[in-house]
Amino acid sequence: MRLAAVALAAAAALLACAPSAAAANGWWTFNRNSNLNSTLSWKWTYPPSPAQYSHSWRAGSGSSTDECRRGEGWLPGGWYAQWGHWNHYGGSAVKGRVWWLQDKYCYDGITKRVELFIHSEETAENGQTCTSAWDDPTCWEREADYYSLGCIKLARPSPVANFPNDLGSAHSYYHGYGGSSEHGDLPNDAYELYVFS
Amino acid sequence: MALSKLLLIGLALSTALAACGDGERASVTHRPAADAPAVYTVGAKVFGLDGGPARLASPPVTPLAGWLTPAAVPSADGRYLAYNAWRELRRDDPKLSWLDQGIEPGDALATPSIRLHDNLSGTDEVLAEGAFSLAWRADGALAYFRGAERDYRAGISYVGDVVVRPTPEAASEVWSSERGRYIVVGWAGPRLVAYSEQEGEALDVVVFDGPGRMRLLAPGSGLVAISPDGRQAFVEQGPSQGRPRVRVVSVATGRASAALDLTTVDPVVGTVGYSGDWRGDRVVASSASGLAVFRVERGKIALADSLRIAASSVAEPRFVDESGRHVKAWTSVRRGGVFLDCDFAIGACNRTMPLPETRGVHGFPAWRRPLYNPSRPLGTS
Repeated sequence: MRLAAVALAAAAALLACAPSAAAANGWWTFNRNSNLNSTLSWKWTYPPSPAQYSHSWRAGSGSSTDECRRGEGWLPGGWYAQWGHWNHYGGSAVKGRVWWLQDKYCYDGITKRVELFIHSEETAENGQTCTSAWDDPTCWEREADYYSLGCIKLARPSPVANFPNDLGSAHSYYHGYGGSSEHGDLPNDAYELYVFS
Repeated sequence: MALSKLLLIGLALSTALAACGDGERASVTHRPAADAPAVYTVGAKVFGLDGGPARLASPPVTPLAGWLTPAAVPSADGRYLAYNAWRELRRDDPKLSWLDQGIEPGDALATPSIRLHDNLSGTDEVLAEGAFSLAWRADGALAYFRGAERDYRAGISYVGDVVVRPTPEAASEVWSSERGRYIVVGWAGPRLVAYSEQEGEALDVVVFDGPGRMRLLAPGSGLVAISPDGRQAFVEQGPSQGRPRVRVVSVATGRASAALDLTTVDPVVGTVGYSGDWRGDRVVASSASGLAVFRVERGKIALADSLRIAASSVAEPRFVDESGRHVKAWTSVRRGGVFLDCDFAIGACNRTMPLPETRGVHGFPAWRRPLYNPSRPLGTS
């Protein structure tokens, strides 16, 4: 499912004559529908105009809808500060184009979810390593790859499956419409995420 | 007069809660609730300890571990309770971002600690500050994670070491060869089982054979339970790691002796979760729809039973007896944790919410958790 939603009725017309992207102010939202099929949106405005524009992608999160289950539950509801964005992140479990999010208490007010990212399944060099394994962590093979341990996951194409390039699209919208042009640690930058409960 | 008033308030609360429709039985007495686990906590109150109910200096909570590890662990002889505490250094409102709360990178947010409650003397003292998640061996050896820094800080991974004390009074010895994000779970005989956590809350089950001797036991997995003799571990993998499956692995060698692809059994099971229990040849774990019991035989795992439970999720199931058909667990409802007392023979669970009026931190519902010792072998659990 690829969503190209515009918040206001006149948005399409406005987008056609939009001012420069540098003047935009953007943020993420995440609508939790299911672990395999939720919606990540990049929204932006051109201040001082209140008109909102958005582009949305199918995204997954967690393998349980209990946001308090560490390593299993989807991303807890609420506002998140974004703490960094990398094009070639070389972590042990998360690689490539990623956005790093703050830690968050879940609904019980006690359990902290930590080490949270928006990411896909790719190598640090933004490639795909698809072996004969049923599920290679750096290859987007199938529907089940939308499952995560808690992070938000976006699809991308691979040599073995024809998923849309949602990671690439989100990356382009982020940089082109009101996100930061910078990479690396961006502690407490203005590009926040809101996760609907 | 005052007592009568309290009883009346209690009765009114019970009636009001019973009318709310969640179906659980609300207990407002300070006696252990019959359907609750053998030892459990409601906020800072603990029930089921030798010597009767006790009030701890702080509620046992594990914010950085959830229920990957117990919130508190009774000693094998029942005299002590070692538990996790969490002291917030500044308020962190989950509805707001850190940016909107003025929380800057490196700001100290909280101090985790491990405390020791003596049921005999009633003392309650800090065993280690800047520490969380513990495992208590039958001979008294205590293992836990100790942060490189005392405080958990915004935007900084809370890394540290796994340390072991032969007794609570003894000096600690570092067992991890490098700092990392570890969550200690339990002893398997002389070996220590823990998690190593990476980005995205990716969990590897690891084993420490001694100081500086850590091995990967089950990558990308959760620990369901350690076998009664401490020689094996029952581990699970969820759908984000490939086909959901469970395996029995030797703690000494890491070799798998049995495996079960969960896509080949009753689809009501779906996936299973960590932190279950193992008695005799049976293992109980939470499942996507409730509970699942597996029979572990030589070289084989078979699904023995499953139970659908109308709950958002079920956590920390524990066998009540050797029958393998009676299990206690907990789940969450809007008003906080609820204990489940499940009978596979009749296919249903009773619910109970002891001390329903208890509030948790910052107005959140109180945590209600079973307290147990997952280490094996052990005389008690």
